[in-house]
Amino acid sequence: MKPRLQAWLLAFPATLFVGVCLGWPVLSTLATTFGEEAGPFATYVKFFTSAFRVTVLTRTFEIAVITTAISVVIGFATAWVVARAPGRMKSILIIASVFPLLTSVVVRSFAWLVILGKNGILNKALLFIGVTDEPLSMLYTEGSVIVAMVYLFVPLMILTLVGVLEGIPRDLTEAAASLGATPAAAFRQVVFPMAVPGLIVGAVLVFTGSFTSYATPQLLGGDRQMMMGTFLYQRAMVIFDWVGASTIAAVMVVVTLTTVLLMSRLARKLNPVVG
Amino acid sequence: MTVSLTIDNVSAQYGSTRVLEDLSLKVAEGELVSLLGASGCGKTTTLRAVAGFLQPTAGTIRLGDRDITHVPAHARNIGLVFQTYALFPHLSTLDNVAFGLRQRGVAKAERHKRAHEMIERVGLKGFADRYPGNLSGGQRQRVALARALVIEPPLLMFDEPLSNLDAKLRIDMRVEIRRMQRAGGTTALYVTHDQEEAFSISDRVAIMNQGRIMQLDVPEVLYSRPANAFVADFVGFVNMIPMQAGGEDDKGTIAKMQGGASLHLSKADFTVPGKDFVLATRPEGLSVALEGDGIPAQLGLRTYLGRAYQYRCTTAAGEVIANGPLSEPLEPGTNVVLVPQPDQCCLLPAES
Amino acid sequence: MNTRIHPALIAFATLTFIFLIGPLIIIIGTALSDTTFLTFPPQGLSMRWFANIFEISAFKTTMVTSFTLAILGTLLSLTIGVPAAYALARYRIELPKFLANLFVLPILVPEIVLGFSLLKSVATGAGASIWVSLLIGHALLVLPYCVRVVGASLNSFDFSVEEAAISLGCPRWKAFFTIVLPNIRAGVIAAFILAFITSINDVSVSIFLTGPGISTLPIQLLAHMEQFFDPTIAAVSVLLMGVTVAVMAVVEWTLGLTFLTK
Repeated sequence: MKPRLQAWLLAFPATLFVGVCLGWPVLSTLATTFGEEAGPFATYVKFFTSAFRVTVLTRTFEIAVITTAISVVIGFATAWVVARAPGRMKSILIIASVFPLLTSVVVRSFAWLVILGKNGILNKALLFIGVTDEPLSMLYTEGSVIVAMVYLFVPLMILTLVGVLEGIPRDLTEAAASLGATPAAAFRQVVFPMAVPGLIVGAVLVFTGSFTSYATPQLLGGDRQMMMGTFLYQRAMVIFDWVGASTIAAVMVVVTLTTVLLMSRLARKLNPVVG
Repeated sequence: MTVSLTIDNVSAQYGSTRVLEDLSLKVAEGELVSLLGASGCGKTTTLRAVAGFLQPTAGTIRLGDRDITHVPAHARNIGLVFQTYALFPHLSTLDNVAFGLRQRGVAKAERHKRAHEMIERVGLKGFADRYPGNLSGGQRQRVALARALVIEPPLLMFDEPLSNLDAKLRIDMRVEIRRMQRAGGTTALYVTHDQEEAFSISDRVAIMNQGRIMQLDVPEVLYSRPANAFVADFVGFVNMIPMQAGGEDDKGTIAKMQGGASLHLSKADFTVPGKDFVLATRPEGLSVALEGDGIPAQLGLRTYLGRAYQYRCTTAAGEVIANGPLSEPLEPGTNVVLVPQPDQCCLLPAES
Repeated sequence: MNTRIHPALIAFATLTFIFLIGPLIIIIGTALSDTTFLTFPPQGLSMRWFANIFEISAFKTTMVTSFTLAILGTLLSLTIGVPAAYALARYRIELPKFLANLFVLPILVPEIVLGFSLLKSVATGAGASIWVSLLIGHALLVLPYCVRVVGASLNSFDFSVEEAAISLGCPRWKAFFTIVLPNIRAGVIAAFILAFITSINDVSVSIFLTGPGISTLPIQLLAHMEQFFDPTIAAVSVLLMGVTVAVMAVVEWTLGLTFLTK
């Protein structure tokens, strides 16, 4: 048997599976949006002229960007400490980051319901200290969604960046020091620029993850803080508007793919290391 | 500007493992001293302590009159060439070389001018805009050298700088390094595990073992007059024959060997270091003879070396390797005597 | 090494880890509360809410569904993913470059879009049963892990070893099972673990595909939360954390936890 034929035979089942079960359904979803009687782009016109829909899109974008920014800052500072922690401590910190990451999103979002609820722990604490006289409603706000999303994605950021920081050889920081760079200068001129490509990869993961999330906005945002994910679900499963839902899906695909492509190009550009 | 490096009674440890034991070493102005030894002997640790990456538990390190023991690494002003080159992958050759000048606040135009000059001096003209990923091993090595030299440090240090290069390039580069170091008159400390490299490049070589300097001297002395069994073994004295001084007569000191045989060591050629001592030689230091005043041996396997025959010989003290002339090949099993050649043998004090 | 870290950074990292672990501890606390409402710190200690999980039949059946689905979906994905990964590594020049990227597509397409599209085309369009749709969805979801992780260990495998076996008279298929597979064992285990945990925690794909009578545990948990807000939810959550602990223990035994930072 020729090698090429052998190779194709082995790869065929998976290729067929992805083609039929992913390619066809997703393409047909995208195709649905262009099949309106009113014209191929009617549903997009409807989407972008509806104040409500545009609000959902911009809100989702805003929440995803804020979540990403906060996760990057918290993740970088924490990863810096984790990467330089002594052996045993480092393992413990890594376990402490992995554990939430592997725990169900529903569980992790639920925790914030308990904390931020009307009768939640935070309100009880605030009442006890006397900061406020009556419980604050913190749930179903953009803030509550962002807090829970940051909670969701910080572990991912930490683990990505620990990998990135540990991948920077110690020789390089020592070389910088031997050439007269203070620790701060070595960080600015060597460590940080070298971490940026990894930072971008992590940021893209957080952005696309939060932009397309469902469970967290469902639990902590409710109908008041509708995001693209919850909106898609509502259109498809409550209102049964499949064209509308497909349009939302198409917008999500375009936004995430554009982000991934632009950012990976940026990461490559900032990383001229070849070979 | 050139200064001496003085390491005074420095000890260091990693965790609870002691890696340097009371080490002292002085490198004179403009001198190149190599630290030579197997991995784990403390040579790189010594370099790291001088560079400021490792805090000694005791002792002082001085550059000229300046005590730098507690000066942070970035304020020591020492040029360092790493085994891995440690070039900044995100910076071009030019920016790599200019990095140290930038830290010293040299204006951009000036530092680029000086970096370009240095790049040219190491033979990389036209490569200033290349990134390290696009350079060959030898070119990276040159960038690393340029980067360390351009800051005009009073002390240059090299950590196995040639171990990642192929054999031919290694010889070219070591000549180059020596030439540049000489030209600048810079004091240098050079770490390597390669004896030939150390001997060829250095003014003096320190052979290290277990965190200590076993012998520090010019290469010629190390090669022919090792001070102890460790150094002798290190520089290739494969035969170590234990002996005991047993009085003397008109032919010299009577040296008794295991198995009861003895030979004479003439007073003119040999200084016996004590009652118990070791005769150390390379194979060519023992000549094979059918009779004479020497070590009784029986010949074993013969191998042809081109310039001589080499024999594995059985003696009362164990296996000994000796060379014999091409003119008369001898058969295995022949009983011979091995006569020590005074200029190629050393008598070392026996170690307990 | 000079690993002095600024105290402010250490304080910051400490707060981060309190932020990461605190909420999970709170869940454990509320699960142990004797009250009928969610409260922390727990008032009275009781295991009644854990017992209650098994009183509610929906939790029992969805738990079984979730485990079965995770295991079957992962096995299906490995069955087609490992040969594909092998083909990609072994016959690098024979296959077009885009193929490697094709198997990563399920990660690039937002899960919720995948779930919706499967509902529209596979469940409704092609009339697949809930079980089949869920299986397809989960197998797709985990396929990238199977191909990539197994592929990574295949890429560091020296195929001349396999050729040596064949030259010694071992048939090709047998060489794969006796020579290649044992050497990429760590990769297969890692792929299985990652796939299993991804599948068992999935919400965005399953939410569209579950239906009357058949649901997964996370979806059931979400549904339960909308109607009741009692410590049972916390108890189920603790149970799910138990799954995480079990998975991490398996990782530690088989691969060592250092695997997780790579």
